[in-house]
Amino acid sequence: MNAVTAASAAPFAARGITKRYGNLVALKDVTLEIPAGRIVGLLGRNGAGKTTLLNVVSGIVLPSAGTAETFGVPTDRLDTPQLTRLGVVQQEGGTIGWMTVRQHLDFNASFYPTWDRALEQRLLGELELDPKRKIIQLSSGDRQKVGLLLGVCHRPAFLVLDEPMSALDPIVRARALDLLLERLRDDGCTVLVSSHILNDVEKIVDWVICLDQGEVVADSAFDELQESYAEWILSSPAGSLPRQYPEPFVLSHQGDERQARLRVCTNEFEAAEKFATACGAQVQKRPLNLEEMFPLLTSRRREGR
Amino acid sequence: MPPLLIIDYHNGVPAYRQIMDQVKLQIATGMLPPGTEMASTRALSADLSLNPMTISKAYGLLEHDGALERRRGQTLIVRETHGAEARVRRIDPLRKQLVAAASLARQLDVPKGEALKLFKEILDDETK
Repeated sequence: MNAVTAASAAPFAARGITKRYGNLVALKDVTLEIPAGRIVGLLGRNGAGKTTLLNVVSGIVLPSAGTAETFGVPTDRLDTPQLTRLGVVQQEGGTIGWMTVRQHLDFNASFYPTWDRALEQRLLGELELDPKRKIIQLSSGDRQKVGLLLGVCHRPAFLVLDEPMSALDPIVRARALDLLLERLRDDGCTVLVSSHILNDVEKIVDWVICLDQGEVVADSAFDELQESYAEWILSSPAGSLPRQYPEPFVLSHQGDERQARLRVCTNEFEAAEKFATACGAQVQKRPLNLEEMFPLLTSRRREGR
Repeated sequence: MPPLLIIDYHNGVPAYRQIMDQVKLQIATGMLPPGTEMASTRALSADLSLNPMTISKAYGLLEHDGALERRRGQTLIVRETHGAEARVRRIDPLRKQLVAAASLARQLDVPKGEALKLFKEILDDETK
């Protein structure tokens, strides 16, 4: 099973990689490891460096400095044994327009001894794609479906996807998410996926890497993130709340001396209760979902925290 | 029939937590009697569209907490409990709700006696 081979070396590891395009620094001293057998969400705002990082993983782009290894092999020396175990779904197609879907599938299949025709047939049906159509005549959504098929039908051990679902309708998107989970269940396939559709990401990822201005600002198990970010509503009828919150775990606050809403990041057990007691207030707390967490993740560094 | 679990993917509570809480509640209410076989990690992952890691984590912690136990190789079943342990298991979900209620009582400055009396009234009311 692929899971065994994938587990022996991390699917991807980067040590101090920087990527410059002229004056632009797309990635800055990035060190990280993609854990095997996980679905990793790569998040960040536009221009944060997500696509560059994904292109480094697949060897399309070489870092200006630092070392990057995919399946334990430096990315400038990737060859057939690694490339056949890698599935890449690029943001802008990467398909050949004049071919029909059928021709393109056959063309790609010819490179991979592991190409799974039964999977291909099933996915054509599930994703509602007509193999007789020419790629150039397809809508952007249907082109993304082709991209997905081309990325998964050789049953890779490591799947790298750049915004693979932005043009898909909600029904097909749900099927595409299930497809990623199914690849993990059946083949132990590690998945690295970038997406702005945080509601989707939230359903399937168990690890989150967040980039901001080319730097890693979060690299953590998703449930640990969920358990450390929270909203606290403090209320004090007597008006005893402070005006400022210099505590480093308070990421944002609004309100007055009677009621305040804090967004916090802390792993300390009962931190909310202790904090509330200290300022003579009552506290209600609730966890944050990924969409609420995202601005906090991406703004921490900029505010110098 | 496997337990019906309803996961809210967007409320910020980690999915493994939601699974744990719901399984514990179903055990406490008798929906999942001792000896019931749990769905496999794989089946539940497909069923809930959740990462298998998430299911394993929830199952692992439920096993650690003594709610489930492993039998005949890999099968996970609801563990049988007796005496004090069974009692704690049954009232634990109630305790969680009461902790929240107690916090509200303090916030509203409701005296202890009055809060207890209110709870008793509600209990009596419901059993009529």
